[in-house]
Amino acid sequence: MFRSLRTDAPARVRVLVNGHPVEVPAGQSVWSALALSGQITTRKAALSAQDRSAYCAMGVCFECLVDIDGLPNQQACLRRVTEGMQITMQTITEDTKAEL
Amino acid sequence: MAHDCVIVGAGPAGMAAALTLADHGVRPLVLDRAARPGGQIYRAASASPLPDRSVLGADYAAGAELITAYTASGADHRAEADVWHVGADGKILFSTDGGTCQAEAREILLCPGALERPMPIPGWTLPGVMTAGAAQVMLKSDAVVAEGAVFAGSGPLLYLIVAQYLRLGVKVAALVDTTPRDNYLRAAPLLAGALRVPSMLTKGLSLLHEIRQAGIPVFRWASDLQVLGQDRARGLRFVTPKGAQEIAADTVFLHHGVTPNPNMTRALGVQHDWNPDQLCWHVRRDPFGQSTLAHVSVAGDGGAIVGAEGAQCEGRLAALNMLCRLGRIDRATRDHLARADLTRLKRLAGVRRFIDRLYRPQAALRVPQCPDTLVCRCEERSLGDLRAGFDAGARDPNALKSLTRCGMGPCQGRQCGPIVSQLLADWRDEPVSEVGYYRLRSPQRLLSLQELSRFNRVHPAPEEAQ
Repeated sequence: MFRSLRTDAPARVRVLVNGHPVEVPAGQSVWSALALSGQITTRKAALSAQDRSAYCAMGVCFECLVDIDGLPNQQACLRRVTEGMQITMQTITEDTKAEL
Repeated sequence: MAHDCVIVGAGPAGMAAALTLADHGVRPLVLDRAARPGGQIYRAASASPLPDRSVLGADYAAGAELITAYTASGADHRAEADVWHVGADGKILFSTDGGTCQAEAREILLCPGALERPMPIPGWTLPGVMTAGAAQVMLKSDAVVAEGAVFAGSGPLLYLIVAQYLRLGVKVAALVDTTPRDNYLRAAPLLAGALRVPSMLTKGLSLLHEIRQAGIPVFRWASDLQVLGQDRARGLRFVTPKGAQEIAADTVFLHHGVTPNPNMTRALGVQHDWNPDQLCWHVRRDPFGQSTLAHVSVAGDGGAIVGAEGAQCEGRLAALNMLCRLGRIDRATRDHLARADLTRLKRLAGVRRFIDRLYRPQAALRVPQCPDTLVCRCEERSLGDLRAGFDAGARDPNALKSLTRCGMGPCQGRQCGPIVSQLLADWRDEPVSEVGYYRLRSPQRLLSLQELSRFNRVHPAPEEAQ
């Protein structure tokens, strides 16, 4: 269970996590927004489609790839939340066909 | 127009180098992936979201001073600049703000830092399993913590984050220590060398004392780790001399040491050597950090694990050598100014040897023990898949990669690379130095065609170009 230790009242932004509105402190990582919202699955594994989530949180494991505002393969740990951002679990697997 | 010097990475090594360059009138371009300078160790040290950052320790506070000095140094700092190509021709490509930039450098200093050694235990790909470094990142950047987590593994970073959690009143389910009993005996002869920097030892001991005082469950001599849970982590199972244990937890943080982040130096093609004490590849360098490409230097944990203080020494030394190569100082001046840091590094090396020996990770935790445990997280290749590839004739990392797709995913082998080299060494019954590592190429991150199409060049400011 993730929680925030912040006691100040930071400016907050509203993002959509898998379609659900979530309010989080401005400037924090997309991964933190997912963790605090309890929706920690970032993507489906490429072959087995098993749930995956952030592992290193510092940009080297590429487990936290999510879809941000329609653009896939975004590292949730490196991106920061902005007002209105739409964060969606990435479901690209080897069977996925590109939309042309 | 080429920059005199481009530094990649604004952690302790990169910042210290920039300060030394600035002292001698060279204004480096510094490309850093993070939003703020500091690297992993001093992440957000200058702008902590925590109510009281002193709980993170005095070293972290000292990092804030370094960041302040660096920020005032006049270095051309570019935040959120993710370097994905460094060429032997001095050209550097990086992504920033949705576009692509190119910079050119006469001297390049790479400070890519460390990453955590993979711990491929059953269940290590389940959601809820993260590294101790990840816990640190979340705490420092966003003041986010995991309540009731298990911490498992070995080494200073693991004990530090547990102590930090306890100071902050965050519940810790257990510390599961995998440091083998034999390590204490093997490390004992190196204690004298470590005692030359007594502050480092007392710091470590006080952390362990603090954890013991807090009264959380601590399990020592643990082995045979396995994450419990089907669709996400539910806990950790392990074996101690007292028998099998199970701890329930939503979050499991793993850690057993750090290794240089190899992708940039590997893709550039500089020479690396296997280091059997640190169980990782080091970049081959002279005492000033100069690599086998004369205009490329490497400083900090990205070259070999030296810690934050060592990284600063190496950053300054690399800067002095680059100043000499740029004709800003002569060789005698370089050598004179280098003396203090060279001496300090020698002392720190004594401590490092002790730490490396004491916290040398268990062989059984560095490679999977079960055939169905994943080695390659991206392409989902298991130990059994790799063994089949080896039996089919793939004797080296690149052949195994071609045959099995292990290492071909988005992380580009950052997680599976060390495991694959070790497995092949075991199977071939040869040292890792003979087995080698993946051949890596740029780009070192995922790129979209859109960001490639938005192309810019970064030139030095006009006054420097004169």
